This record gives sequence, structure tokens and C-alpha cells, in this order.
Amino acid sequence: MKSYLKGALCAAASLFAGSAQAEDTVKVGVLHSLSGTMAISETSLRDVLLYTFDEINASGGVLGKKIEPVVVDGASDWPLFAEKAKELLVKEKTAVTFGCWTSVSRKSVLPVYEKNNGLLFYPVQYEGEELSKNIFYTAEAVGQQAIPAVDYLLKEGMKKFYLIGTDYVYPQTTNLVLFEYLLSKGIPVENIGGGLRKDSSGKVISAGNYTPFGHSDFQQIVADIKKFSASGDACVINTINGDANVPFFKEFAASGLTSEDCPVVSFSISEDEFRALPAKDLVGHLGCWTYFMSIDSPANKKFVKGFQDWLKKTDVPGVVKENRVTCSPMVLSYNGVHLWKKAVEKAGSFDVDKVRAALQSGISFDGPGGTVTSQKNHHVTKSVFIGETLENGQFEILETMKDVYGEPFLKGTFKK
Amino acid sequence: MTLTVILRRLFLSALFLIVHQASADDTAARQLLTKLILGTSDEQAQAVTDLYDYGDPIIKDVISGWRVGEVSVLERDGKKMVLLKTGEGAYLDILTGQSVDPGGQEKISRAKRKLRKKLRRVVDFLDLSSSDPAERIKAVYKLGLSQKADYVEVIRERIDRQKDEEVKAAFQESLSISLLKNGSPEERLQAVNELGGIESFQARDFIETLKKETENEELIQAAEKALAKIDSAQKWTEFYGSIVHGLSTGSVLLLVSYGLAITFGLMGVINMAHGEFIAIGGYTVYVVQGWFASAYGVGSAGYEWYFIVALPAAFLTAALAGVLLERSVIQFLYRRPLESLLATWGVSMIIQQLIRLKFGAANVSVSSPEWLSGSIQAAGLSLSYNRLFLIGFAIFVIFGTWLLLNKTSWGLHVRATMQNRLMASSLGIKSTRVNMMTFAYGSGLAGLAGAFLSQIGNVGPSMGQTHIVDSFMVVVVGGVGNLMGAALSSMGMGMVQQLLQPFIGPVMGKITVLLVIILFLQFKPGGLFPSRSRSLED
Repeated sequence: MKSYLKGALCAAASLFAGSAQAEDTVKVGVLHSLSGTMAISETSLRDVLLYTFDEINASGGVLGKKIEPVVVDGASDWPLFAEKAKELLVKEKTAVTFGCWTSVSRKSVLPVYEKNNGLLFYPVQYEGEELSKNIFYTAEAVGQQAIPAVDYLLKEGMKKFYLIGTDYVYPQTTNLVLFEYLLSKGIPVENIGGGLRKDSSGKVISAGNYTPFGHSDFQQIVADIKKFSASGDACVINTINGDANVPFFKEFAASGLTSEDCPVVSFSISEDEFRALPAKDLVGHLGCWTYFMSIDSPANKKFVKGFQDWLKKTDVPGVVKENRVTCSPMVLSYNGVHLWKKAVEKAGSFDVDKVRAALQSGISFDGPGGTVTSQKNHHVTKSVFIGETLENGQFEILETMKDVYGEPFLKGTFKK
Repeated sequence: MTLTVILRRLFLSALFLIVHQASADDTAARQLLTKLILGTSDEQAQAVTDLYDYGDPIIKDVISGWRVGEVSVLERDGKKMVLLKTGEGAYLDILTGQSVDPGGQEKISRAKRKLRKKLRRVVDFLDLSSSDPAERIKAVYKLGLSQKADYVEVIRERIDRQKDEEVKAAFQESLSISLLKNGSPEERLQAVNELGGIESFQARDFIETLKKETENEELIQAAEKALAKIDSAQKWTEFYGSIVHGLSTGSVLLLVSYGLAITFGLMGVINMAHGEFIAIGGYTVYVVQGWFASAYGVGSAGYEWYFIVALPAAFLTAALAGVLLERSVIQFLYRRPLESLLATWGVSMIIQQLIRLKFGAANVSVSSPEWLSGSIQAAGLSLSYNRLFLIGFAIFVIFGTWLLLNKTSWGLHVRATMQNRLMASSLGIKSTRVNMMTFAYGSGLAGLAGAFLSQIGNVGPSMGQTHIVDSFMVVVVGGVGNLMGAALSSMGMGMVQQLLQPFIGPVMGKITVLLVIILFLQFKPGGLFPSRSRSLED
């Protein structure tokens, strides 16, 4: 009787396995804003993800299964992101999700992934101070973008640093870390511009000058920068996000400041954003990312060509085909998919716990921006590049820092 | 900026003449430049040092061209040639001065940033003897602010050669700044006093450093006095600056809201699509810019005029869109303000989506013509040309509208219709026509505002949304139906925002202005100039 039951169970199990075999696909979620304010940036990531899936499927898929993308639209609406994440995990049962751009959307889906034990790859530079067992951050942590940029500026002989940003969590946290870092490097407080806010005990809780999203009047701030930089050797650390960069750089150029008097290093302007910026006002200013389209390597050439060929022949609705470029968040999405693929192959399973263990043990992938290696702390070791903006919207690479470790918790770690 | 461009052009054409009769003394400089561009990094470093010995203008042209992609390397018959671009498709060989047709085989060469910094020094050095006073001033400040001991004598021996008072003062100031570090104790004391006397902003940080480092009591006291003087001068400059910035912010507010002051204030139409007319103006500039770029080429003399053509084009396009909207939707809703609010809101969504379909969801980039970029430096303030142009244009719009409404018969008809439409039409005024034209004029002004915003900010499908709230605020505070009120309230709001900003920051500044407006409307619900018109309350 017992063996009979066992046999029936086995038969049922093989039936299930058989039906899975027949489909021969694995569902993978893509969770980005395809409408609303963030759509401009995030649709590029959807495009590159679909390209990556096609590329992997053409070479045999993952563990012999073809990737079946499930694309959902977060619509730049943070609570909707959480709903869509739940849909992906519970209804569609996706093995992994690639998605989110803003930190607030990530914070919104985080509890959903933790509750349902899902797996999310997050590809965009962020402020750190977070570590979820269900998220892998292929993104640049502060130590892989802001800190190397400051190191470079210090090496260039800069003595005064003006901090400016949009008023939300990423710029505020990044600037606070930078403030501590600059102090630890012996820069006196009065040489850090933009203003400080202290709480009642005198502890600095905010460093730098902040503007609302979409701010358009930078006259006073630029006048302040001009005063700040009058004595030379000054630079601006810019964490302004989105289109507020346009009035800022226009005002900056109109006031007679140049990249030689006072270079601006921006953390939110990549090749993709550059398409809507006034090129001549940005020439000579700096950027810092873990990938530039101008990297001269066979891996990058292959990636850029592959993506552009894919754009030509794709029939996915809503894909813009003209003037497309590649940028860091796109490559970090691409790297994320490949890291996941390698981890799945190492684990021999799509099971989230097994894939996580494989990723934590250190998986390496030779991506367009050089080799990336996943770490135990869910971040990724990768190379950092400092680039200078050219009039054609590309960056000329000035400095490469190899294999920078990704460390999310930096606040309070720098001591004088 | 314009001047430097003209000078550059002159330089290049002069260069053409010079190089065609390459003289004996500049061949050495040419050889050096070729070595500089083609050499290894060691050779380059040596070449930079050697360049200091030459004073040829070609050095500057090549070095600045190297920065902006005008220098390229051509390999022909196994030999490398260095070319300088002198115009569209025109190149000359730096070594021989002959013009060369590279046939598209040239590869653009760029200086490494580190090298460029050193080259910048060479150019500064050359500029110290430049014929352009502005160049000399810029160069001497750079050398002075670097506080390098080597430059003290270089600057000192050139002071007396300067005829221009302004240049002389700049040389003196730079020397004093350099002496703060490199001078004897007496020289330092004298430099501190001098710099305090002329209230030198550039010197402030250097005096502060000196004060911290020195132990000489006398010097510390002098430094304190100088710092106090400079600080108070800086405070005043900031104050004047805030007033100018307030004027320009006010002008932006005025331009975006004046059209609304007419359509909402005078005509009583709550037009939520006002912001989209601003966007239409902005996109018109973008389109006109594209035409000029393809007709004349970016950066050419003809291209520079695109903005002059774009202004009336923006006005007309937006006015036309206004006529369409008035004829198709608004004329049926004159007595129903709430319905017009909903209908125009719908129209605004439609226009935004149309723009997205035509131009894409991303912002488009509009560049300022050369004559609008750059700034005047006066009394420590920098006033950018496009801001000045904006202020001037705002005044023009106020005055023009006033003339139109008060000195023309059309204006008389408008005022009559706005006061009492039935009475006006019974006296023979074609009120439908007047309505249409007035709405078109208001929309046209919004288009003009969009054209100006393209010079200082973004052009995108949602650019109107950011301005619509501000526009309504200005009109309500000014008093619905009163154009002078709108002018005053926009200037007032701009001023308050800018004067508060240095103390409480841009975020709190904006919030405070909103709070002040709420309080103000509690006490004066009709705005600054409450007036009776055919507006909401009838």
C-alpha cells in the first residue's frame, strides 16, 4: 500500500517535471518604469535586458532553458513597484528580477522580495547603507564612484570642494559620506562649500547645498560657487539628478566659470542622459562611472556592436532606434544577468537560496567594463573610471582604478 | 565671448598669412610643436619646458586647437604629419605651413589632461604679453593665484609696462597675492594692507591662510582688518547680486505669467493648457535651431541669428495654437469656468502627448547663440547676457502690452468687451473676433516665454507643468484682471525668493514664499490690485 502511494507520487512528480520540461523556459522579471518621469532613463535598461536575454537564448539559454522575460511597468509610481514585484513573484513565479532605478523604488520593493524570498538585481549607482539578503547590488556603491572621484580631484591638487545636489536620499547620504571623507583627508571644514546643517548636539546631519527636483533657478548657487572658487583650486561635486542639470550647467557657463577654473564632477550624468544636455556647456567637466562607452576593449566593442545590431532588427514595441548609446547602468544590468546565469550554472539550480550561495562564493564575469566579481556582501568588485566630457557626448578616460571593492556601509568609517 | 571668437578667427586667418611665408624664427617653434604632439610623454614634458622660450602666436593656436579637437595626425607615405584645422575641411601642416587635404584620413589628437594643465601655463605665460587686455588680466591672475615664487619677478617687471589702468591694477593685485606667500615680512604686511584696501575677493582665502600660519602680531592684526573689509564688501556684493537675481527671476515669472494674466485675468478663462503653450514656444526654438543648423552649419555666422528668427516664430506658433484652442473648445465655455478648467486640462494632456509622439519623451537640447552666452563682470558681480536680455525683454513686453491695450483701437475694443461683453457687442464690436485675438495674444506671450526658457533651462514635454502653478500664483497675487498687478507681483515674488535664498536655501526659500502668499491672500483676497472685471465672480 505504502509503495503504491509512493509510486503514485513519483508518477505525479515526473508528470510535473515533464510539463516543465515541455515548456523549457525560465521566467525572468523585468521591473522598470516604462512610463512617467523615470521612463526616459529606465526604458534603456529594459532594452538592454531584452538584448541580453536574446543573446543568452541564442547561445543555448541558462541550464538548457530559454529565458522568458516578463516585463512589467512600474510607471514611476513607487507603491506600484511593490505591487508589480508581488505580481512577478507570486503570480508569475519568476526565478529572478532585474529592475528599479531610484532608491525609493528599491526601498519600496525590498519588503516584497524579503517576504517571498525573491531575488532582485539592482543596477544603478546608489547611496549604500543597505544590505538585503534578497538583493544583489551590481550598482556603484559610494566607494566605487564618489570616493574615487574625490581621490582623483585631490591628486589633481584641488583644495576646495563645493557639494551640491537634489534634495533626496541619494545626494544627502553621499554628500555626508564625502564630507567625512574630505575631513579625514585633511580638508578643513571651511574649504567644503555648500553649507552644513547640524542637529542640536552639533553633529553634522547634512552637508552641501540642495535644490528641489526640477529646480530651474541656479543664479544664487552659481554666484556662491563663483565666490567660493575665486581663490582657485576649487571644484564642484554634483549630485543633481535629472533635468535640473540643464539650467545648472547653462548658468554655470553663462557666469564665465569654465572647467579649467572649477571642474564639476557629476555622478548622475552618463552617456544616455547626455543626449538631452547642452553639450558645449559640459565640455571638460568630469564624470565617474564603472563603465564608459569609450572603453577601448574587444569585450566592449562586441557589446556595443551587439546591442546596436539588436536595436536594428528588434520588433519590441516602444524601442527607440536612433542615436542610441550605452552607459554604466545599462552595462551593470547586462553584467547582472550574466552573473546570475553563471551562478545558476554553478548551483545547478534556479533555487533562490542556492543561487545566492553561489553568488556569495564569488562569481566572475568579463563584462564590457572589465572583470566584475560578486562579493559575499552582495556587492560587486569592479573597475572605476574617471572620464572627461567631450563635445560629442562621450567621455575620454583619464584614469582607471582596477578592482575596487564594493562596500555599502561607509558612513562614520572615516576618521581624521 | 563673442570677442574671443572673433579674435580667434582673426588669429587663424592671420596664421594663414604667417604660415604661407614661414619665417626662419618660427620654424623652431613649429618643430617643437610637432614633437610635442607626436612625442612620447618624456619628449612632451621636455617640449613643454622649451616652449616657454618662444613667443609665436602659432603656439597658442595649436595648443588651444589641441584641446577642442582641431589638431589631427595624418599618416601619409609612412610619415606622420600634424594638421591644424583652419575651417570646414581646411587643414594645414603645422611643420611646413602648407595646406593639406587629408581626404578624411586624419585622426583627431587630444592632449592628456595632465599635459594640458602644463600647456595652460605656457599659454598663460604667452598671454601675459598678449595684445588683448582681457587676456592679460586673466593670465596674470592665474599666475598670481598659483603663488609660485618663480612668477613674482615675472609679474613685477611687467607692471610698469602696462598702460591700461585696469590691467595695471590686476597685475598689482596678482603680485600682492603672490607676495603674501613669497615676500619678506615687510612685503607681506604691505601686500595685506593693499589687498584689504582694494577689497580683493580673490585674496580672501590667502589672507586667511597667512593669518593662521604667521606668528607675527602686526601681520595678524593687519590680516584681520583686511579680512573684515573684504567680508563686508562681499556682503554688499551679495546683496546687490540678490537684487539683480531677483529681477531676473521676476522677469522669468513675468514672462510665463503675463499671457495668463490676459487669458485668465482679463478674459476669465482658466486655461490649464497655458503651460503647454510655453512648451510649444520652446519646441519652436528647437525646430528653428535645427533648420539653421542644417542650412548654415552649427557655429557659423548665419546660425547665430537663429534665435532672432525663433522669437517671432515662437510667438506666432503659440498664437496659432491659441486660436485653434479658442475656436474649438473655449468659445463654448466662456460662462462656465469650471468646465473650461477641465476641458483645458484635458487639452494640456493631449498637447503633451503630441509633443512626446513628435519629439520623443526625452528633453531636447537647445544651445544659446554666442552673443547670448557669456557675461559682463561688474563690481564683483557677473551678469550673464541672456539674463540681461530677459530683463530687457520683460520690460518690453509690459510696455508693449500697455501700448496695445491703451493706445490702439483694438485695445479699446478688448477693454470694452472684457468689461461688459453684451454691451460691447450691442455697440457694434465683434466680440467673438476680439475674444479670439485676445486669447491668441495671451497664448503668443506664453510662446515667447517658452523661447526664453529654452535659453536658461530645459525644453521638454512637461516643461509647462513646472510653470503653470507659478503663473496662476502671480496672477492671483497681483489681482485678477490687473496687468500692472501681475507685473508687480512677479517682480516681488522673484525678489523675495532670491533675497531669502542665501539665508535659508532654495528649498525653504520656495516654501516661505508660498507661506507668505497664503497669509497675504488671507488679508487681501483680491490680490494687490483687486479690480472689477468679467472674471470668476460674475
